[in-house]
Amino acid sequence: MESTLLSLAHGFAVAFQPDNLWYAFLGCLVGTLVGVLPGIGPLSGISILLPVTFGLNATQAVIMLAGIYYGSQYGGSTTSILMRIPGEASSVMTCIDGNAMARKGRAGAALCIAAVGSFVAGTFGVIMLTLVAPPLATIALRFGPPEYTALLVLGLIFLAYMSSTSLVRTLLMACIGLLLGMIGIDNMTGHFRYSFDLAELGDGIGIVPVAVGLFGLGEILSTPSHKVRGEVISPKFRELLPNRQEWGESVMPIARGSVLGFIIGIIPGSAHIISSFLSYALEKRVSKHPEEFGKGAVAGVAGPESANNAASTGAFVPMLSLGIPTGPITAVLIGALMIHGVPAGPQLVTEHPDLFWGFVASMYVGNLMLLALNLPLVSVFVTVLRIPYAYLYPLIIMFCIVGVYEVSHSIVDVYIMLIMGVLGYGLRKFNFDPAPLVLGLVIAPLLEQSLRQSLIMSNGNYFIFFSRPIALGLLIVCAVLLALSALAFALKRKDWRAKLAEAEAGEAQG
Amino acid sequence: MDRRTFVIGTTATATAFAAGPAFAQDAFPSRAVTIICAFPPGGANDIVTRPIAAALEPILKQPVVVETKAGAGGQVGAQVAASAKPDGYTLLSHNNGISGYAEVDKLFGRQPKTTRADFIPLARLIADPVLLVVNDQQPYKTLKDFIDDAKKRPEAIVYSSGGLYGATHLPVAIFEKATGIPKLRHLPTNGGGPAITALLGNNAQMSTQTVSATLQHIKAGKLRALASFGGARSKVLPDVPTLKELGYDAEYYLWVGIFAPKGTPASALATLSAALDKAAASDVFKNVVSGLGQEFAYLNAKDFEAFWTADAKRSDEAVQLIGKQG
Amino acid sequence: MNLRADHVAGATFVIFGAAIIALSGDLPVGRLSMPGSGFLPMIVATLTIVFGAALVLRAGESGRFSEVDWTDGKHAAMVTIITIAAISLYTYLGYIITMTLMVIALLVLIERRNPLRAAAYGATLVLVTYACFVLLLKTPLPASPFSY
Repeated sequence: MESTLLSLAHGFAVAFQPDNLWYAFLGCLVGTLVGVLPGIGPLSGISILLPVTFGLNATQAVIMLAGIYYGSQYGGSTTSILMRIPGEASSVMTCIDGNAMARKGRAGAALCIAAVGSFVAGTFGVIMLTLVAPPLATIALRFGPPEYTALLVLGLIFLAYMSSTSLVRTLLMACIGLLLGMIGIDNMTGHFRYSFDLAELGDGIGIVPVAVGLFGLGEILSTPSHKVRGEVISPKFRELLPNRQEWGESVMPIARGSVLGFIIGIIPGSAHIISSFLSYALEKRVSKHPEEFGKGAVAGVAGPESANNAASTGAFVPMLSLGIPTGPITAVLIGALMIHGVPAGPQLVTEHPDLFWGFVASMYVGNLMLLALNLPLVSVFVTVLRIPYAYLYPLIIMFCIVGVYEVSHSIVDVYIMLIMGVLGYGLRKFNFDPAPLVLGLVIAPLLEQSLRQSLIMSNGNYFIFFSRPIALGLLIVCAVLLALSALAFALKRKDWRAKLAEAEAGEAQG
Repeated sequence: MDRRTFVIGTTATATAFAAGPAFAQDAFPSRAVTIICAFPPGGANDIVTRPIAAALEPILKQPVVVETKAGAGGQVGAQVAASAKPDGYTLLSHNNGISGYAEVDKLFGRQPKTTRADFIPLARLIADPVLLVVNDQQPYKTLKDFIDDAKKRPEAIVYSSGGLYGATHLPVAIFEKATGIPKLRHLPTNGGGPAITALLGNNAQMSTQTVSATLQHIKAGKLRALASFGGARSKVLPDVPTLKELGYDAEYYLWVGIFAPKGTPASALATLSAALDKAAASDVFKNVVSGLGQEFAYLNAKDFEAFWTADAKRSDEAVQLIGKQG
Repeated sequence: MNLRADHVAGATFVIFGAAIIALSGDLPVGRLSMPGSGFLPMIVATLTIVFGAALVLRAGESGRFSEVDWTDGKHAAMVTIITIAAISLYTYLGYIITMTLMVIALLVLIERRNPLRAAAYGATLVLVTYACFVLLLKTPLPASPFSY
C-alpha cells in the first residue's frame, strides 16, 4: 500500500511535467471532439492519430492516445442527448432518457449529469486501477466462455426490465434483436447466415446503425415539423445546471454505475458493451418510480453514463497488468506501445515504472481536465437546440448518415440505418419500444458464441456451467431473480408494470 | 490546398465541374493514393499499414490515406479493392487471409467473391513466424511431450484460434498433418487477442500465435513455446526449435502485404513498387518493425509474388484438411 | 370481427418468424450438446411465432387498426425518399455535394423554405462539419469525382 502511494507520487511527478500535461490535454481535447462527432469513435480516432505520435516518447504517446479513449467517453453522450443519435454502442441507453430530458428543457442538466457521472466513474476506475489492478486482472482471466454465458443469461433476464410495455411486447422486440444479431458468418462453423451474399453482412449488423435508425431517424420520421408546437427551448444559464432534486436523484445511480461498469470493464472480451445496458436495467429495477424511465428519468442518464466510463477505465486493468487486450481499443494502445519499443506485458510495471505510474497519474489529471473542458461546453452544445426544428432535423439526418458511414466506411450500414428508421417508425405506430431490440442485438452474438465455446470446451457437457464458481454464482443470481418474479406473480401482487398500465388507463379516462 | 479551398467555395455550382477528370492526365500520382486496410485497428495490418503510408507520402509527394474497410475476415476490404478502378490510386493492405477465401467458398459451394487472380502483389511488409505455444499449467516441456500426449488422448487437447480458417487456425491443420497426430479440439474465438486470452485463462491449452503477440507472455513464463513454424530460429527466442529441424515439414507466417487490383497499368505499378521499397527502408518503418519484436522481412514485388504462390498452396491444402465444419 | 392493431402486429411477427425458419434451409441445426449454426435461430424464430400468436390472442386490449394515426405518413415518406436518394448518391458524389443537396431538398421540398436561405444553411453546415472531420481529425469522408 505504502509503496503504491509512493509509486503514484512518482507517477504524478511524471504526469505533471509540462510536456506530459500538454499531451494529456491534447488527448482529452481530441477525445472530446471524437466523442462529440458522430461516427468517429475512439477506435478510429486513436488509429488515425497514431502516426502523429511517432515523434513522441512512449509515455507521451500513451498518455495522449489514452486521453483520446477516455475523453471520447465524455463527449459520446452529447449527440445522444441533443439529437437522439448514439455515436457509439456505449451511449445507446443515454439517448432514451437523455433526449427525453432535453425535450423537457433539461438538456443542460442531462449533459452536466453525464459529465459529472463520467468524472466520478472515471476517477473511481483509476483509483481501483491504482489499488487492486494485479490481483483483479488474475481473476479477470478466469472469466472464460462459461462465465460469459452465465453473464449474458443474466443480461437476458434484465432485458425484461428494459421496457415499460407489456412483457409479450418486450420479449417480441428482444427476439427480433436476437435474430438480427445472428446475421453474418457463424464464427463456429463458417456458415453465412441470412446475409444474402453481401460480404458487408459477414460480421453481422452493427449496433450503431440499428440504434441510430431506430432512435434517431425513426423519431424524425414520426415528427413532422407542424406537430412541433412548443417554442424553441432556449434555457437561461441558471437552468443549464441540474437542480437540487436532479443531483439527489443521480447520486446513487452514479455510484452503482461506477461499480458495475468497472467490474464488467475488467472482463476480457466485448462485455464492456453491455455495461450501460445492464446499468439502465438495474436502475429501472431498483427505482421507486420505474414509470419515469423513458420519459426523462435522471437515473437513466446518470447510471449508464457512469457505467460506460467506469468500464472504459476498467479495460486498462488487464491491459496494463497482463498485457492482454480486452477489446479493440486496448489492442490499438498495446500496438502503439510496441511501436514505441515498450512491449506491454506482465512485466510492464516492473520494467517501465515511469511509464506505468505516469500513465495512471495522468488519468487522474485527465479526468479533471475533461470535467473542466466539458462543463463549459454544455452551454455551447445546448445552443444547438435553439435551431428551429424544421432546420434542425435535416442536420440530424445528415449526422445519422455520416455517423453511421464513418464507423466502418460501409454504405450497407447506412442502408441498414434507413431500414431501421422505417422499422422504428412502424414500431412506434404499434406501441413497441425498440430498446429491448437493441439489447437483444448486443447479446445475441456474444451469447451464442460463448455458449458454443463452452460446449466445445466441455465436449458437449452442460455441467461445465455449474462446475465453475463464477458461472455458478451468476446463474444463482439469475435463478433468484426469476424466483422473485415468479413469487410476485404467484402472490398476485401487482408488479409495477400492471400498476403503470392501470395508471395510464385512468389517465385516458380522465 | 489552394485548389481545395477554391473548390469548396464553389460547391453550389459544382455541377459545372465536368472538367475535373482532366487532372488524371498528369504523371502518376497526381492526387491522393488510398490504401484500403481490410482489418480493423488493433491488428497487425493496421499497425504496419499506417506507418508505411506515412513513409510513402514524402516519396510519392502525395497524401496517402488509409481507409479501413474491415469485415468478414478481410473479405469486405478485398472485395472493395477488387472492384475499385485499377488506376493505381487504390491499393489494398491484406494478409494471409487473401489466399484462402476462394478455397473456403468452394468448400461451402459458394461463388468466390474474389480470387488471387484479382490482385497483383506489390510488397510483403512483414512476415511473423507462428509459434506453437502452451500455457504454464500444461506439463509439456518439449514438442515430443505434446505430440505423445496428443496421440494418447485424441480430441482432448483444446486449442484456441482467432477464427475459423484464419491465420492462427491453418497452422494447426498443417501441424496435424505433418506430425500425423489425431485431430485436436478447436476453440474458435473472434480475434488474435481473445485467442491468447483463452490460452492464458486455461480455457484452451494450446494455440499457434505469432512471435510478436506472445513474446511478452513467454518472457513472463505464462506461456511456453514448443516449436516455431519459421524457416529459421527466431533471434528473440533462440532456444525454440523450428519444426523443420525437428523433422516436420511445416512452415507458416503471419504476413502483411500490399496489393493492387488486377488491371493496374504497369507504369503505375513500377512507381508504386519502387516507392514501397524506399518506404520500407525508412527509419520510421524499420523502427516499427523492430518495436513489434519482429525481424525485417520486407519482400519486393518479384520476391513477394514467388512467396505468395508457395504460401497460397500451403494455405489451400490446410483449408482442405480442415474441411467443412458442423 | 373488428380488426385490432395487435392483430396486424402479431400476424406480422408470426410471418416474420416463419420466414426466418424458411430461410434457414440448409443451416445445420446440430444437437443440444453441440448446437449447429441453425440451432439458436430456429429457437428464437419459434419464440417469435409464439409471442406473435400471443399478441394476436390478446389483441382485444389494443386499439382498432383503423384508428392508428397515419397523419405523419406523408412527412415520413418524403423524408425517407430524400434520404434514400442521398444515401445512393453519397459514395458517388461525395460528402460535400450530396449532403448540401440533401439539406436543401429537405428544407425546400418538405418545409417549403426559401431556397436561398436553405442553400446558405446547407452549405454552412456541410463545410463546418467537413472541416471538423477532414481538417481537424484527418478522417476520410467520401470524395466526389472531382477529388474533394
